Amino acid sequence: MRLPLLCLALAACGGGEPRAERPIKFLHTFSPRETELFNTTIAERGLHVDASLVPFARGHQVIEELLRAGRNCPDLIRIDATWLPGLVAAKLVVQPPPDLGTGWAAIAKDLAVVDGKMWALPQSIDGLVVVRLAGTPAPATPAVTDLITAAHVSELPHPLGVRVDGYWFVPWLRNEGVDLAPAALDGRAVRALRDFAAVFGGLAATPPSAGSEAPDELRRWNAHELAYWVTGPWQLADLRDRDQIEVSALAHAPRGGQLLVVPACAAQPAEGWRLAKELTSERVSLIFSDAFATVPTLAAAEAHATPLVQRMLAALASAEPLPREPVTPLLFDDLNPAVAAVVAGDATPEEAIAGVQRGWHHLVTR
Amino acid sequence: MTARAVARGSLRWRVLLVLALAAIVPTIVVGVLAISRARHDVADEVQRGALAHIRALGAALDGTLQDARRTVELAASQWADAAGDAKSTQLLVRRLRRDVPIVEQLSILDPDGHLVSGDPVPAGPKLEGAGPAPAPEEDIGSHSFGGYIGDAVFDHGKPVIHMVVQARGRTGELMGVFVATLDLGFVHDVIAAARLGPGAQVLVVDGVGMPVASSDPVLAPGSRAGDPVVERALASTVEGTMSQAGWVSAYRNLSSYQSLRGVRWAIIHRQPEAEAYALARRTTRDTIVIGAAALALALALGAFFATRLTRPLADLARRADAIAAGQIPDEPPVEGPGEIGTLAHSVDEMAKRIAERAELASALARGDRLASVGVMSAQVAHEINNPLTTVLGYAKLLLEDKPEGHADRNALELIADEAERMKKIIGSLLEYARAPRPSEPSIGAGAVAGTSQPAQVLGHVAALVAPQLKKVRATLATEVTTERRIAIEPSALQQVLVNLVQNAAQAFTTGGAIVMTAKPAPGGIATVITVADDGPGIPVEARTKVFDPFYTTKAPGTGTGLGLAVCKHLVATAGGTIEIGDGPNGRGVEFRVVIPNHP
Repeated sequence: MRLPLLCLALAACGGGEPRAERPIKFLHTFSPRETELFNTTIAERGLHVDASLVPFARGHQVIEELLRAGRNCPDLIRIDATWLPGLVAAKLVVQPPPDLGTGWAAIAKDLAVVDGKMWALPQSIDGLVVVRLAGTPAPATPAVTDLITAAHVSELPHPLGVRVDGYWFVPWLRNEGVDLAPAALDGRAVRALRDFAAVFGGLAATPPSAGSEAPDELRRWNAHELAYWVTGPWQLADLRDRDQIEVSALAHAPRGGQLLVVPACAAQPAEGWRLAKELTSERVSLIFSDAFATVPTLAAAEAHATPLVQRMLAALASAEPLPREPVTPLLFDDLNPAVAAVVAGDATPEEAIAGVQRGWHHLVTR
Repeated sequence: MTARAVARGSLRWRVLLVLALAAIVPTIVVGVLAISRARHDVADEVQRGALAHIRALGAALDGTLQDARRTVELAASQWADAAGDAKSTQLLVRRLRRDVPIVEQLSILDPDGHLVSGDPVPAGPKLEGAGPAPAPEEDIGSHSFGGYIGDAVFDHGKPVIHMVVQARGRTGELMGVFVATLDLGFVHDVIAAARLGPGAQVLVVDGVGMPVASSDPVLAPGSRAGDPVVERALASTVEGTMSQAGWVSAYRNLSSYQSLRGVRWAIIHRQPEAEAYALARRTTRDTIVIGAAALALALALGAFFATRLTRPLADLARRADAIAAGQIPDEPPVEGPGEIGTLAHSVDEMAKRIAERAELASALARGDRLASVGVMSAQVAHEINNPLTTVLGYAKLLLEDKPEGHADRNALELIADEAERMKKIIGSLLEYARAPRPSEPSIGAGAVAGTSQPAQVLGHVAALVAPQLKKVRATLATEVTTERRIAIEPSALQQVLVNLVQNAAQAFTTGGAIVMTAKPAPGGIATVITVADDGPGIPVEARTKVFDPFYTTKAPGTGTGLGLAVCKHLVATAGGTIEIGDGPNGRGVEFRVVIPNHP
């Protein structure tokens, strides 16, 4: 009898209204369609989440500034894997609880590890692969040269789908034995850039205006104007004939992924990790995988993914992560305009690479 | 409308009730639906309008910022390719300030963040609780190679933003950074130029809820963080609406715009619900007024038509009541359209049949009374007959004893004649009083006891009276248009008809025509038998007496005055009636005998 009375008294003293659950603040870089599925999925699980979208292209800058400022700090952030070393170095994120460190696929866990420690939960794996329709002969080997050879055999006017972007240039660079690092650019990089730029206008169509690359590629693929498309899982959700798509590896292709990190300034880090665990759970990751062909990160989930996703995973297995350095994502700021300048004919490969070298030098010295 | 007409439960009351329900229920349902729909539509329109408004304002804001960015980007690109000549740089800065009026300050930095030309690097936003302010070039993001538009900064109370644009040369190499401070006063100008609804306000806030511009003439300082609408707007993916604390708000997160991509600015349109939904309120009021007027009109028309509809029915009810009370209304029959007319006609027909039945019943009752009188008369006659026989016998014996010429002989002959006459009268009385004889054989094959077949009886009567008619050069025609059996003994009917035909024949002086008919009575419950002649007729004043016993128009000593009385007695005993009227074409007389049909 005393206990119910005590409960009543406590309830009476506690005020008339129950305290509203504080939402988990989540900052993400999902596409609009992914955001829609995320909202639905989270609502079904009864999680109270206050989610905000940051466009991927501005995500690195906005997130870093937000975390440095420490105001309106989110409890969880979805970031690109290349951003993690910089955030770790600046001590802007915290490590997950030890119990969340198991069960991941090896290549997924690698994305979340910096200096031997796990700093994030991997949410998806991506990278560049070669996509073609069933019936189109596969390149003889994953090498860039064999991809070019296979494209030459095709009777389509511009059979190769490649984007004018430093990320796409990486396989050509690595094919010359050079990786994405400030000190490594030399004549091999010039040769790689010349080869890369050479595919445009012939094997690859003249690039569209900036910002419209993705819809242009999608239109050309759906119109069967592309025989070999160098792209990543992020594009597969929008493709028709997904069951007729074949995926093969591209040698030296970059591999990355999306991670979930809890900022050091998070007001509710435990809640952040709870949402991260939910988003990377087998059930939720398969929902996203089925809808958008994203590659799940839990080893247990990979076995239940669709055949297309499994083919994607197999192709990405041989891809190579980008250097795990804080400066890596910033390198593209100089590399992208240089590649575009060469493809457009505004600069020679030598001029462009020299400019990139100077830019990277400024970056490193600063 | 009389009290009886609207008495609870009356037909008119019920018709009025049905009409009222038929008018009120749809009016209320349609009214509620119309009001609900109007409010819903107005709410939708208000929200759509507000969203369209803020989209337009957002697009104007985005357009101005994009123009500024493109112009600065173009200038930065030109500067990067111009190899940093000091004079051309100054010229470029001047031209940029002229072409982009919202550029308040412009600094050109080299890739290491050192000022090359223009204004000193501006101080960046001072964020509360962010610790020591970073170096200006770091604060505004000049270390970054990406384009940049930051949150609003208040420079002496005036909102500005910093825009960082990379200056890349022909080869894509970073040659420097342009840092422009943009005066956001244009946002206020754009909002001020917008035509807002009554009481409406527009507010633009940056990512931390600081107001950048407002439709209010004076921009109140201080963050709006904590305002539910601002919080919702900054947290939204694109746009939305909400109603809160008597305000209708529409908001749009501007981060989706090209110029502000990644910067969580928001534009908010809010309007008091009372103003926003004024149209809905007016629609509601108009709907209620018009609905009430329409309802009143419907009820008035309903009452009018209900009265018109039920008046013949009420008249009919009164007529039926009168008929039920045994009165035949003097008023003309009720007229009405459709079923009401048919019903009125049926009621009148029913009344006619009831009258006939009443007449028959009355006749029957009269017959019973006459039968009683007859029995009494028979007893009297019987008692008188015996002494009269004695009187007659003795009178005749005395006559036999008196020789011709005897003085008493005339008296005795008078006594005998009168006694004889009295006996004849008594015989007629006995015949009058004699009860029907069911045991008498009926006429015709297939006969049913107590019933007659008019065609057979009329034929038999014609045969019986033929010789007598021949003597007086009279003709007899019969016409039978019914095959129904009638509830009267054939002998009784025969006696009645022979009597009537003989009376007609006796009235002729130079011959004449007699017509005897049998036809169904209206309603099919009786048969009408007529005997008409074209003789001299019977005076109207005498017609009421012809059925009285001992009334005769014949010469004294030629009739007993009991013939028609016997006829009436026989007909009444059968439950029928006998009437006298003018003959065909107004000549002679016609006796109309109505006998009930055998069931």
